[in-house]
Amino acid sequence: MMKAVVNRIIPNTLIDGPGSRMAIFLQGCNMNCLYCHNPETQNQCTGCGYCTGVCPAGALTLSGNKVNYNQEVCCGCDRCIGMCPHSASPKCLELEDEALFETVKANEDFIDGVTLSGGECTLQYRWIQAFFSRVKAQTGLSCFIDTNGYMDEAVIRELCEVTDGFMFDLKALNKEKHVLLTGLDNRLVLENMSYVSEQQRLYEVRTVVVPGFTDSEEEIGNISEYIRTLNAYTCFKLIRFRRQGVRSILSDFEELSKETFEHLYNIAYNILGSRAVNTD
Amino acid sequence: MTERIKGIIQDTRLEFHQKRGQLAYEAENMLPYVGINERSKEYLDKRIICDIFEGHAPYRPRYILPDYLRFMKNGSEYLGIKPPEDLYEAVNALLIIYRYVPSITGYPVYLGQADELLEPYMDTVNGQEAEKLLRLYLTHIDRVMPDAFVHMNIGPRDTKAGRLILKLEAELRKAVPNISMKYSEETPADFARLAVATALEVGKPYFINHSAMLALLGENYGIASCYNSLNIGGGSHTLVRLDLKAAAGLAGGYQAFMDAVLPDAIASLCDIINARARFLVEASGFFQSSFLVREGLIQLSRFTSMAGVFGLYEAVELLSDGLRMGHDRPADDMADAIVRRARELVKGQTGAYCDGTGGKIGFHAQSGIDSDLDVTAGVRIKAGMEPGLFEQIRLQGSLQGYFDTGVSDIYNFDSTAKKNTGGVLKIINGAMKNGILIFALNTADSELVRITGYLVKRSDIRKYENGDPLREGTVKLGADSIKNKSVLERRIWKSDEGCC
Repeated sequence: MMKAVVNRIIPNTLIDGPGSRMAIFLQGCNMNCLYCHNPETQNQCTGCGYCTGVCPAGALTLSGNKVNYNQEVCCGCDRCIGMCPHSASPKCLELEDEALFETVKANEDFIDGVTLSGGECTLQYRWIQAFFSRVKAQTGLSCFIDTNGYMDEAVIRELCEVTDGFMFDLKALNKEKHVLLTGLDNRLVLENMSYVSEQQRLYEVRTVVVPGFTDSEEEIGNISEYIRTLNAYTCFKLIRFRRQGVRSILSDFEELSKETFEHLYNIAYNILGSRAVNTD
Repeated sequence: MTERIKGIIQDTRLEFHQKRGQLAYEAENMLPYVGINERSKEYLDKRIICDIFEGHAPYRPRYILPDYLRFMKNGSEYLGIKPPEDLYEAVNALLIIYRYVPSITGYPVYLGQADELLEPYMDTVNGQEAEKLLRLYLTHIDRVMPDAFVHMNIGPRDTKAGRLILKLEAELRKAVPNISMKYSEETPADFARLAVATALEVGKPYFINHSAMLALLGENYGIASCYNSLNIGGGSHTLVRLDLKAAAGLAGGYQAFMDAVLPDAIASLCDIINARARFLVEASGFFQSSFLVREGLIQLSRFTSMAGVFGLYEAVELLSDGLRMGHDRPADDMADAIVRRARELVKGQTGAYCDGTGGKIGFHAQSGIDSDLDVTAGVRIKAGMEPGLFEQIRLQGSLQGYFDTGVSDIYNFDSTAKKNTGGVLKIINGAMKNGILIFALNTADSELVRITGYLVKRSDIRKYENGDPLREGTVKLGADSIKNKSVLERRIWKSDEGCC
């Protein structure tokens, strides 16, 4: 029996892969993107206890170096998340694959599949293997992963065995911009994307169009061309940068205008046709 | 009385037909109420039971579902219409007969299985002509029968006419006609997805669980007005409803409610319903004089009456000291027990002239009217208090099976659903598997707002509030419902963007 650290579960989503899906967000990330909209998913709780002092509902208590979270009394104000100095959340739950599977099974009639996201869910890849194997053995549901693609070759190969589709969050194709945005090189990401594409499992590539980083005609054009040469099926979803939730210097940046976003989308559309997806 | 009549005549927000309808209602009500017992009168006076403005002396059934297929086959001697031979004649014939179908509002509540009626004529004209004719047909219905209870059925089979109606409705963006799509395994997925896309744009059609309806009413059923499932070639004499919240307020507790109050109230509900049906059939002369009967388009034996209930959410809340349906298991169990008991009590009575549902009165979850304050439609969960979408569907699915003449729930989606019609269809499929009979959906940002069983345009509501006269009487009902019933507070199912 294995446990996953789960940030939250959305029982019904229509935007995290094909059809109607349940999305499970796992805690922890190996990137620290400037535009991260959910920084509270980045790290594991250290048990420092700062958050217990701001909870108006008394849902958080500290025992030793562990913060206890009482879901029943939580009022959902998220003050704890806002003040966490470690980009973590005291509200994560440690769930066994069997318990999560039961939740999935209970909603089987209403969903086409399950999507794991994060954070970077593949950090918990051993758990994913166990969970997806169980889902595939006992239901007809499809299993998808939303990832930044930054993992060892051996990991992506193992995950491909139990995963029907991947959504790659490509932060930037331009190497320098990728480093600026995430602190990491994108070589591994592109190699993994290429492997997944060959396995016919690259469902979608997503890029957040960030002013000053990925909002150039050249960058969007290059990503679109890159996807076009990879295969004939992967969609490219463009997401407009919004300041909501962002804590870095980008929180002061102007949001990308609708018009600029539309213009960039059209560049992608001209290269990929209906495979370019406009989320606006 | 003279003041009230003068008020109607001088109301600048009503147009001529609406005034005439209200004046006729006042005239009818100068007669004494049909023969009911004293206890029933008390319930009516306290508005615990209500006949939803049917009037004192019914002279036409509330819901009539003519057998339009028979009309298209035989024509009508009374109307001087021969069986149509092409699409022009088919559309013309239907538009003529619609004006001769009585109802409470004066507008027909059932327009027939439009795709099935028109499909045989689709190839008599070219594609462009067909589209133009259907656009005119739908436009005519909207302008001449401006009442959102005017209801058309399509499906479950795939037809050219059905697809064209969906396409045109998404384009015309009008509240009238209301549309139901019978949906089953024989409905092709792409046709169903087109219906989902249309519903996400304009709040219609709603999805009818065709297999479940077949088991309840047989092949020849239709959906009329708002969510009323009745026999084609028949209908319902009357719909009288019981306010479960008000009834619960009379009881000292749950047990007293189940043992004494509910049986007493439902006995009166049935007394009123049967008295109204008897007057209509035996004293009004409708079934003796209507050409619809004479020409075999309706038969008394296909009719029933409807006993409606509403306010279950608040009744449970009252009787359980504050437990909430959809959130507390004992509240869900109580809701189930109340509905089951109410059904037993209704079905335990003989229904006068109710051969359409085996001699018993039809059981109906009534979806509310504009003047209802702080009380939830039918057996729904209070707006804004819905649990998770799937929990809501599961609970409603378990309750909907008790109703044989109509029940519904509305599910609001956010606009991201428009890009994933397949996903919405999966949820509808799951809902039907879990017992949902009628699934209505809406998007939060839609220009058309689904009120209870009908739609109104947001822009028309603003006009009504400004005191401008409007063609549709239902706009007034809708505007008042929005004020009184938190229609806009209904929970929206958002698909959250995941993460970075």
